[in-house]
This record gives sequence, C-alpha cells and structure tokens, in this order.
Amino acid sequence: MPPIAPGTRDLRLDFFRGLSLWFIFIDHVPGNIMTWLTVRNYGFSDASEIFVFISGYTAAFVYGRVMKERGFIVGAARVLKRAWQIYVAFVFLFVFYVAEISYLATRFQNPLYTEESGFFELLQKPEIVIIEALKLRFLPANVDVLPLYIVLMACFPLILWGLLRRPNLTLAASAIFYAVARYLDWNISLYPWDRYWFFNPFCWQFLFVIGGWCALGGIDKIGRVLRSRAFLALCILFLVYAAVLQLSWLIPGVTRKFPSWMHILPLNKSDLSLFRLAHFLALANVVVRFVPIDATFLRSIWARPAIICGQNSLEIFCLGVFLSFSGHFVITEISSRKYAHFLISLAGVLIMIAVAALMSWYKGLNRRVEKAPPPPAGQKNLEEKVA
Amino acid sequence: MRLLAAAIALLLAGIAPGHAQNCTVNPELVEAPSFLPRVNAAVTKEGKLAILVISAAPSQVGQASGLKSYPSFLETTLKEKLKETNVSVFAFAVPREPIGKVLKALPGALQEHKPDLVIWQTGTIEAIRAMDPDVFGDKLLEGVSLIKADKIDVILMNQQYSPRTDFMFDGTPYTDNMRWVAQSKDISLFNRYEIMKYWADNGVFDLNAMKSDGTYEKLHRCLGGLLADFVLRGASLPGSPDNHRK
Repeated sequence: MPPIAPGTRDLRLDFFRGLSLWFIFIDHVPGNIMTWLTVRNYGFSDASEIFVFISGYTAAFVYGRVMKERGFIVGAARVLKRAWQIYVAFVFLFVFYVAEISYLATRFQNPLYTEESGFFELLQKPEIVIIEALKLRFLPANVDVLPLYIVLMACFPLILWGLLRRPNLTLAASAIFYAVARYLDWNISLYPWDRYWFFNPFCWQFLFVIGGWCALGGIDKIGRVLRSRAFLALCILFLVYAAVLQLSWLIPGVTRKFPSWMHILPLNKSDLSLFRLAHFLALANVVVRFVPIDATFLRSIWARPAIICGQNSLEIFCLGVFLSFSGHFVITEISSRKYAHFLISLAGVLIMIAVAALMSWYKGLNRRVEKAPPPPAGQKNLEEKVA
Repeated sequence: MRLLAAAIALLLAGIAPGHAQNCTVNPELVEAPSFLPRVNAAVTKEGKLAILVISAAPSQVGQASGLKSYPSFLETTLKEKLKETNVSVFAFAVPREPIGKVLKALPGALQEHKPDLVIWQTGTIEAIRAMDPDVFGDKLLEGVSLIKADKIDVILMNQQYSPRTDFMFDGTPYTDNMRWVAQSKDISLFNRYEIMKYWADNGVFDLNAMKSDGTYEKLHRCLGGLLADFVLRGASLPGSPDNHRK
C-alpha cells in the first residue's frame, strides 16, 4: 500500500470520511444485515452527515488556502473544476443505473409486483429522462448525495468568499437560509411526478457550511465551551438517549411504551431534521475529544485502508454505488442468506480499498513527474488529495 | 471471472436448505396487535364482521370472493374460524394513485361498505413516486382519524418485499411514518415487508422470478391466513390456533 502523504493534515478527516464511504456502501445494499456494523442504527444521524460535514471542512481548508494566496478567481476556478468532476461522475453512474432498470423493465413481469412495476413508467420517455438527468432533475437510486455535492460546490466560491471575510456572518446566513427553507418547504423538484431531491440542498448546505466554518478557524473560537466537561457530558447523554430511542424503534411496539415526549421518530432526513444535526455535532465533538489529531492509531497500518479511501472520496463513493448495485444483483440472483450479506460487504470494502490504493499510486506517479517546478506542484497535490 | 461467479453460486446454493411449503414466520413479526374493540363487538354481539381492504393495488379490486389475493384468503380463513359469523371482505382500490386520492375516496367507501374493520395497505406508490414522507404521514394520520371517528377499527399494512426492485426505491421512510401513525393512534401495523422478507431470506418463497411462477396465489394464501390470525388475536376472539408461533 502506498505511504500516506506527509504534512500537517488532519488524518482524522480522511479516516472518518473513508469509514463513512464504507458505511454508505454497506447501507446501500438493500436489506444488508451488515448495516448493524454501521452508525445508522445507533443514533439519529448516519454516514451521510459525516460525509457532508467532512466534505465541507476539507473543501474550505484546501480551497480557502488557494483563494487566500492566489485570489478569488483562481480559487473559484479550482472549486468549479471539482464540481465539474463530480458532475461527470454523476452522469457515469446514471448510465449504469439506466442500463439496469431498463433490463428489468423489459423482462420483469411477475404478477406479484404489478404495483411496483409502476416504477418503470419512468422509462416511458427516454429522450426526456436523459435530458432531465443531465439537468439533475432525474436521479438514479443511491447517488442522491452527488447532486447535493455538485450544487454545494457550484455555490462554494461565494460561500468560501464569505467564510474567509466574515465567517460568523456567513454561518448565520446559512442558518437562516436553512430555517427559512425548512419553514417554507423549499426543495428542488424532480421529473416525473411530484418528486423532490432526497438531500434537500437548501437544508443540507447548513452542515456543509458548518464544516467549512470549523475548518477556517471557527472551531477555535468556541473550543473552550466544546472542551468543557459539562458540555462533553451533555453530548454523551444526548448520544445515549438517541441510541436507546433508535434501537427501540427497531423493535415493534416498544417505543410506544415510552413517555410521549420521546415520540420524536421518525426524523426527517431530506430536510436534515434538527435532531439529526444536533446528534451529528454531538457525535463529532465526542469523537474529536477521544481521537486526538496526533493519535498513533492514525499513523498505523490499520488506519491506512480507511484513510486512502477517504483521500480518494469521489472515486470511492462512485465505486461504492456501483458495488451496491452489484451486491444487490448477487443477493437476488445467487443468495440472500446472511452469509452472502457478509461476503458481499467484505468483498465490496476490499475492492474499495484496492482501488483507492491504486488511485493513490497513480497520484504518487503524477507527483514524481511534476517534481520539476516544486512550489505549485506541492500545492496541487495537497488539493487533489484532500478535496 | 465467470468461473469465480459460478463457484460462489455453487457454494451459496449449497447453504439454502430444502423445505416443505408453510407460512411460518418469526413470531415477533406478528406479535401483540392492538385491541380491536369494534371487531370484538361485531362478532360477539351482532354475529357479523365486515372488513374493507383499502389499497392502490391494481390487482385487488372488488368482492373478495372473486379474487385470489390475500383479501379473499382472509375471508375464507375467517369464515372457517368464525362459523357463526357472517364475514364479508371487500377490496377497495384506487389503482396506482398516491394517498391523497385514496383519502378523498375514503368517506364514500366507508359509507358504502360500512365496515367494522379497515385494513389499509399503503406506502408503495408513495415510495415509487418519492412523495415527501412527512406529508404521507400527515395524510395517513388524517385518514386514520377519520376512520376511527366512526369507531371503526384500523390495521395498517406496508409495502411488499420486492427483491428485484428493492434498490430503486426505499420504502423505509414510509413504513417509519406508518409506525408513527400506529403509535399515535394505538393501532397495529401488519409488517408485510418484513414478513415477506423473512420468507424470502429463509427460502419459504422464491420472490425473484421474472415471470409468473404460481407463487402469487400461494403467497397470498399465507398472507391472508396470517392476517386472519392477526385480526382474531387483536379482537381477542377464539379460533386463532397460533400455529405460526412455534
């Protein structure tokens, strides 16, 4: 496995983003019992929050420096190039998805599922579906986080400009936008029917901006409160409460025995319910406390698989979506036994690690080639690695 | 690559057990239904039981006795178990329409069929069309309140387990909202998704067939039987052999 890029980078970002990518893959294989190994069942928030927060954090960290040193235009150009890469990845996954559902649409005629077959009405006008997909108004299953990422990155030059000049004001504006969007039910509509984006960008931008705000020094301003024992205890208490509630929800009839003020489930994921947001922030605060930036574990060989996945997040996310389709195919075609769930999840994560190692190797090659003009190359590599 | 896939297939196929056809499910899946006072009173005092099954399923419309879907098997099972009672099941569907249209048709259907129990199957079209789950929950709550206002009992039923299409749309948020409504109104949710998934995972039924393979009727017979049991236990009536609680 290639060595990890040196420097003062916070490896926790890569590690936990890598972990969230594994979780997203495992959770995306329908009915996979291995989801018990992910965070989903143990609290309100899940891997999506981890991914969006860390993406906001790293984007602000990397492009913030570019924008500070080389100005708004260069910084914005770099961000938009990234947005374009994500868009291309989205189109790539759309092709696979359409191939799979078209195959099913022409062959699947089981009378048990006449109602479910209504889904294939989607494909009645392929010429429209393709155009709508290119406009991000038709989304394949499981890629919902990509269009969110594209829109956030497309708007990021302005957000970043604000975060660099007036961080607190920008964060406040983002919070107000979140509140108004939730209150007025703003979202982006989809083709066809009256569908909407699963990750409402008007709401989820708040978490992305919180990540950016933390990366650009905001976290230091409130560090004393976050690190206080009382606040930590409060966070842990909230995490325990969330875990009890979420686990009890999985057993029929248990939650209704709780007092009515505990009847808050299910929480709205599309609009990023405040309970989910609070849960993620509490979780992040506790994790940051117990996994310090210089933890020896992060430099050990055991952390490296997750770290390299986190460093190649876009490619590994797309691979994860593709693997979840394949995993579903294996479950329907070959076996749906628990054993198969385990093998599929394990094989999927191993493939993700292998591909991430290959990607890091390629980047290492590029770095050596670009060594001739050293200063800009160093910067570019860091940017490619982290964002 | 193909060889490897074949080897894995062979390996995994060896694990699936041979079995005799039955309707056994994990008892937790059909446990502790909420009390159905109206059903109890109708059977014990009036000697009749009228059930209305509401859905958006195109294959479930009309007098239950004319169908080979779970409503008709529910009717035959209940008639066997409640010999003294005049049991009738009517399946009412607004085919492939989301809950808003069903809600509009609800008062008329209640007036026409005067049921003692409504079994409301929902959440599929809504999941396919990615309706806002919160809006779905609110509409369902409105509908259930309307039914309960007439002192009619309600059982909710969620989507089927469809392994082929499972990755295209996620029913979980809709089932979660149904559980929320069930909790707020103290009614039961018959978790059809988990029951069918249990059957599929344990090799009771093969739900992967691309075309008709005769599973439809066998599966609906099992569902109807389980549902009849669920109703009898919910109404604390005799006749439930608890044969699935092994």
